[in-house]
Amino acid sequence: MAEVEETIKRIQSQKGVQGIIIVNAEGIPIKSTLDNSSTVQYAGNVHQLLMKARGVVRDIDPQNDLTFLRVRSKKNEIMIAPDKDYFLIVIQNPTE
Amino acid sequence: MFTDETLDLIGAESTWRKSHQQTQESRSCQTLPVHTAEAETQAKAVLDNSTQTQDQISQTLSLDQNICHFPGLLDFLHRAEDVVTKELVKNSKSHAFDGFEVNWEDQNESVSCMHRLQHVDAQERGLQVTSVSWNCTGSVIGCGFGRVDDGDWSNEKAYVCMWNLDRQKLNPKRPDVIIGVVTPVMCLCFHPLKPSVVAGGLYSGEVLVWDTSRSQDLILSQTGMSADTHREPVYRVSWVPGARRGEFTLLSAGSGGRVLLWTVDGAEAKLILSSGYALVQQQVPQSGAASKTPGITNIEVTSVALSPWDLDTFLVAVPPDGESVTLRAPVQFSFSTRGGPVHSVHFSPFHRNLFVNVGTDSLAHLHTVLQPRPLLSLRVSDSYTFGVRWSPTRPLVFAAATGQGLVQMFDLGRRSLRPVATIDQNTSGQPTYCLEFNPKHTNLMAVGNADGSVSIWQLSAELTEQGAKETAMLEQLANEVAD
Repeated sequence: MAEVEETIKRIQSQKGVQGIIIVNAEGIPIKSTLDNSSTVQYAGNVHQLLMKARGVVRDIDPQNDLTFLRVRSKKNEIMIAPDKDYFLIVIQNPTE
Repeated sequence: MFTDETLDLIGAESTWRKSHQQTQESRSCQTLPVHTAEAETQAKAVLDNSTQTQDQISQTLSLDQNICHFPGLLDFLHRAEDVVTKELVKNSKSHAFDGFEVNWEDQNESVSCMHRLQHVDAQERGLQVTSVSWNCTGSVIGCGFGRVDDGDWSNEKAYVCMWNLDRQKLNPKRPDVIIGVVTPVMCLCFHPLKPSVVAGGLYSGEVLVWDTSRSQDLILSQTGMSADTHREPVYRVSWVPGARRGEFTLLSAGSGGRVLLWTVDGAEAKLILSSGYALVQQQVPQSGAASKTPGITNIEVTSVALSPWDLDTFLVAVPPDGESVTLRAPVQFSFSTRGGPVHSVHFSPFHRNLFVNVGTDSLAHLHTVLQPRPLLSLRVSDSYTFGVRWSPTRPLVFAAATGQGLVQMFDLGRRSLRPVATIDQNTSGQPTYCLEFNPKHTNLMAVGNADGSVSIWQLSAELTEQGAKETAMLEQLANEVAD
């Protein structure tokens, strides 16, 4: 319990990190440092994107699999680390 | 002696039978043969399906649940943390994307005038456009005609005209809706949720609400004239969120120093006064200057700005000493502009403390609500400036309408304080009184001129697309509060 909090704090102390969300395999957020409405928006959208990206990778080569996804936009960058049961979303503004 | 004699037969022919036959006519008609056909079908396979929405609330968030309900979370985090931390550090040091820009849409390089809307009757009588307003969907532009330079009581008939810019057959010379009004219109404001409802304030002090979706009498409700209403010209009307969600009350500010709140009663077609504030010289906290006139004098109100952040706060611009005042009720704070009457004031949609105001002193002042003196003053024009609005998309950009018929656009992100764009309204020197940005199509701007025309300008991408660090720069600007 405390370890989870500590891990989140460590990631958040990195330069430019704006928010962290942990989402379970169904796309429901279980832990977040952002407000509720943003969390729900990110979790739902990212879940869909993740499934699509994974599908693309495995379609091209069935032996391959997705390990990391980065989405860069004008204002910030969204980093997604996927896994079997959960995935981790970190939003960073690298130019801060 | 006697002989048999036979005489000819004498007879009269019957005439009635012939006459009957003569008057007879016969007609006949027949329908064409009706075509019929028969066919039979039968579904071979049948499939049944149904859907139902599910209550989403319980499903979307389980943030409150105990972490121990999630097995394997700790292991996952251990694995993910290293990878993510490595990427975060790499990203913050990387120069790979420096100066990298993507154009998703066609970049509009220049500012162009899309339409020049006029109402022939109003122009013939020399009426000026005193206010413009976009409706909530961004497709209809409405303008109020009146006079700004007339000092005397005026009973001149005026108009409120609307054009629907999304229609194919837009005729710039003929408005789609023309509403006749008994006195000049000083201000106009469309309802934030209902696209056909618009409120206007008149020179006589009346406030009216029209509903253009009605086929007959367009007036939805009006204030009428009484001791409680305005007696002086109403300079600004604005819709304020009411107690419940979706409900709006109407705020009107007029020359008599009154700021009144009305609720719309559609059934009675009346506007009911729900509360009001009267600005009185005694109540205004002065920032250094002594009060000049003894006794209670009502202050003229020339412009009102509602804060989009704090629903209780609004700014009121008053002329005599050129002071703007914030009200919660009553007056809480006052700002000095040191220059003369303030014509227009507008809160920044991106920062809760900032507002810009313009008046007769040819400067635009950027203020923060935290201090009385302005943060920044920019030279706008050589004469009066009548209107100022922040851009809805770029936090650092605002536009000002000048008395020389130009709209100057300023970008606070640039080092130079000269305007980044000057848009000439082609009114041969006549003033430009009002301007509004379109809330939905944010690259459109409507400008109302003294020659009775409304110009719709399409702004370039440079003026409408937000840069990466603008909000941060605005925050920095706002924090430069002098000690």
